[in-house]
Amino acid sequence: MSFMNATPPRLPPSGRRARKAAASRITRPGDRFEGYLSPDRPHAGAYDEMFSGDGTVRGPYRALYESIAALDAHDLQSRSQALDRAMVDQGITFSLSGQERPFPLDLVPRVIQAAEWTKLERGVAQRVRALEAFLADVYGDRQILRDGVLPRRLITSCEHFHREAFGITPPNGVRIHVSGVDLVRDEEGTFRVLEDNLRNPSGVSYVMENRRTMARVFPDLFAQHRVRPVGDYASHLLRALRAAAAANVADPMVVVLTPGVHNSAYFEHSLLARLMGVELVEGRDMFCRDNVVYLRTTEGERQVDVVYRRIDDEFLDPVHYRPDSVLGVAGIQNAARAGNVVVANAIGNGVGDDKLVYTYVPEMVKYYLNEKPLLPNVDTFRCWLPDEFDHVMAHLDELVIKPVEGSGGYGIVFGPDATAAELATLRRKVRANRRGWIAQPVVQLSTVPAKVDDRLAPRHVDLRPFAVNDGKDIFVLPGGLTRVALPEGSLVVNSSQGGGSKDTWVLASRASTAERELEQPALGAMSTVDGLVAEQGPELTSSQQQQQQQQS
Amino acid sequence: MTWQLRVAHRTGYRYATPATQSYNEARLTPRSDRRQTTVATRIETTPATRAYRYTDYWGTVVTSFDLHAPHTEFTVLATSVVETADEAEPIRTASWRDLRSETVVDHRTEYLTPTDYTPRDVSLAREARSLRTGLDPADAVLAVCEWVNKQLKYQPGTTGVHSTATDAWQAREGVCQDFAHVTLVMLRAIGIPARYVSGYLHTKPDAKLGEVVEGESHAWVDVWTGGWWAYDPTNAIPVGPRHVWVAMGRDYADVAPLKGIFTGGGQSTLDVSVHLTRLA
Repeated sequence: MSFMNATPPRLPPSGRRARKAAASRITRPGDRFEGYLSPDRPHAGAYDEMFSGDGTVRGPYRALYESIAALDAHDLQSRSQALDRAMVDQGITFSLSGQERPFPLDLVPRVIQAAEWTKLERGVAQRVRALEAFLADVYGDRQILRDGVLPRRLITSCEHFHREAFGITPPNGVRIHVSGVDLVRDEEGTFRVLEDNLRNPSGVSYVMENRRTMARVFPDLFAQHRVRPVGDYASHLLRALRAAAAANVADPMVVVLTPGVHNSAYFEHSLLARLMGVELVEGRDMFCRDNVVYLRTTEGERQVDVVYRRIDDEFLDPVHYRPDSVLGVAGIQNAARAGNVVVANAIGNGVGDDKLVYTYVPEMVKYYLNEKPLLPNVDTFRCWLPDEFDHVMAHLDELVIKPVEGSGGYGIVFGPDATAAELATLRRKVRANRRGWIAQPVVQLSTVPAKVDDRLAPRHVDLRPFAVNDGKDIFVLPGGLTRVALPEGSLVVNSSQGGGSKDTWVLASRASTAERELEQPALGAMSTVDGLVAEQGPELTSSQQQQQQQQS
Repeated sequence: MTWQLRVAHRTGYRYATPATQSYNEARLTPRSDRRQTTVATRIETTPATRAYRYTDYWGTVVTSFDLHAPHTEFTVLATSVVETADEAEPIRTASWRDLRSETVVDHRTEYLTPTDYTPRDVSLAREARSLRTGLDPADAVLAVCEWVNKQLKYQPGTTGVHSTATDAWQAREGVCQDFAHVTLVMLRAIGIPARYVSGYLHTKPDAKLGEVVEGESHAWVDVWTGGWWAYDPTNAIPVGPRHVWVAMGRDYADVAPLKGIFTGGGQSTLDVSVHLTRLA
């Protein structure tokens, strides 16, 4: 607890009047920002979220700017150390190539205005609705293929199109219980969708933990901003999972299925289970008999109604997928088919977040919802279409070429940075497997100040908002995970490629009655253990609590 | 003329040491479609299980069951009465140009794409191309089937359940599964959509009513040349009243009659017997 005793550096007094006065004064970045807007910086054309082109601080960042511009090198350092200590204390790590490391949290939060967020929220929800309709169609009537809106080949050649899951209908129709739609901001500042994650999007634990850490180290900043809270994510998730259970289950038993402690996201699995107050289980804790899934407990078998699984389809059911998998539960797919258990997210969702299928999402929005897409895609060239293939071949050195399969930033080639030999190899690879590659312009991800040594420098960021679908509403957690590429000029934000993260603040509008972070000065309520009751939300019935007591 | 046949297919596993748990899926229920009517069908297991039934992506009725008591033997008996179809005539409505059209190529994509069992094979593709010269698609199908029938020797034991078309082609030997796979590789190479059919063949054309004939699980191909029609490359005969259709797919993997997993110490062996009886 040493860092709690260390007095945080004082910030200059602030208030609306002071801010107003300051705003008119600010014309160029202060000390800590020396050289920030240098025209020689890499990707100088990128949209900076704090400063506009002429060095004026943008609206949502004004108060924050005042606070941090005033920091001297020593303040910056001590705050940053306090942050690192807090992260290590809380055990927030990710594993990179088998090694546990702390996940770097940058001390400058990213700020999103209320109006901007409302647009994003609607765009993400629209996308989830369209993709839900698409998955239901692909694993059902396949009307979109019959109508010729999408080519059949697109689906049948998809590695994660699981024919085994055909005809499984979830009780409340939801397949994408949790999604993470990755967004980037182009040179104009427009948010665009980079990819959809509909299988096991991870990272929400960092959203919650980053906030917790920031609130401990920078309580003063929260006093000056109306930041919308993120701590109730788990109660939304639990509500969605309970709502997913078959209609005739009065009090559904929900579990979180993890591959085990060696998984890079184990921290998240255990955190979510703890916050929801449900069991964290591994495959061997459950078994399936006559298409019913049971959990082995000290008091005998208990029927499981909803499995929030954080393991991939390929390992989920050895009867249908990899027969050597010991992580899953044999027979669970047929149990889901029989309607006795709900697997969340549904089996086979990968067909919806395939990077080639992604390019057709705007068509899906029009086809299924009869709406105009609210969030544009990043321009993408599809190597399997002859025209676009020719264009890619001719402009290989200007584009980012990505394999359709694969995640974590592996296999991506930045044309401008590649050598002639690398480009030649790539050309051969793409030619041999056109379905397997897409190409995008080098989208200049927007920049936000990040602490680099004793200064603040622009670093590229993306955003992964998390959406939870309970079948009636799609809840988008205000904020999401902002990943930041820490090496100078880097456009790869993946944690596996040297990325860090930022606390993401969605500001409540002044008029709104939305909750704000640290409204009551009760820091303790943020603690995950103390906060358990509050986190669970109002929809838990008393009988559920009783059952939880029986369990322990 | 159509037949009415009774099929009794017994299959199952024998374990060297008891299996404590097993999950299986059987694809043993004959299809009911415009070509064939299944009058009655039943699947029983020993030890008895609670069966669960569903229709898969390929339209095949799947029966699944799980066992949780230690067992050294597990038997599945599928009995059906089926009214089979007349002999399939080649369909000649599609030209080569039609087969190359975007609609056909996209619509039948799954039956034109190589699979694990039916991979691309340069030498088979070359043979197929030379066989089709001057023929319409339907005649090309017949030519390919007859060619495969002559080239491969029917020889149980050289290939196994996991052999691919290439394996069989290199050995120049195989069983019905291999004949079908090799034929599929060749037909797909020349752009004819073709699928794998699993079923049964009554081997005695002149069998008396009520006579029980020892049969086998059989496989042949179904091709699209303007419409679907089937041919039996193993015997180089049209598919007709003696053929009972069970399942269709891209290759054997989509239609495997019995597959599953078990927990236990020993190896398992599979026993199969098929009895066919002409009823009418």
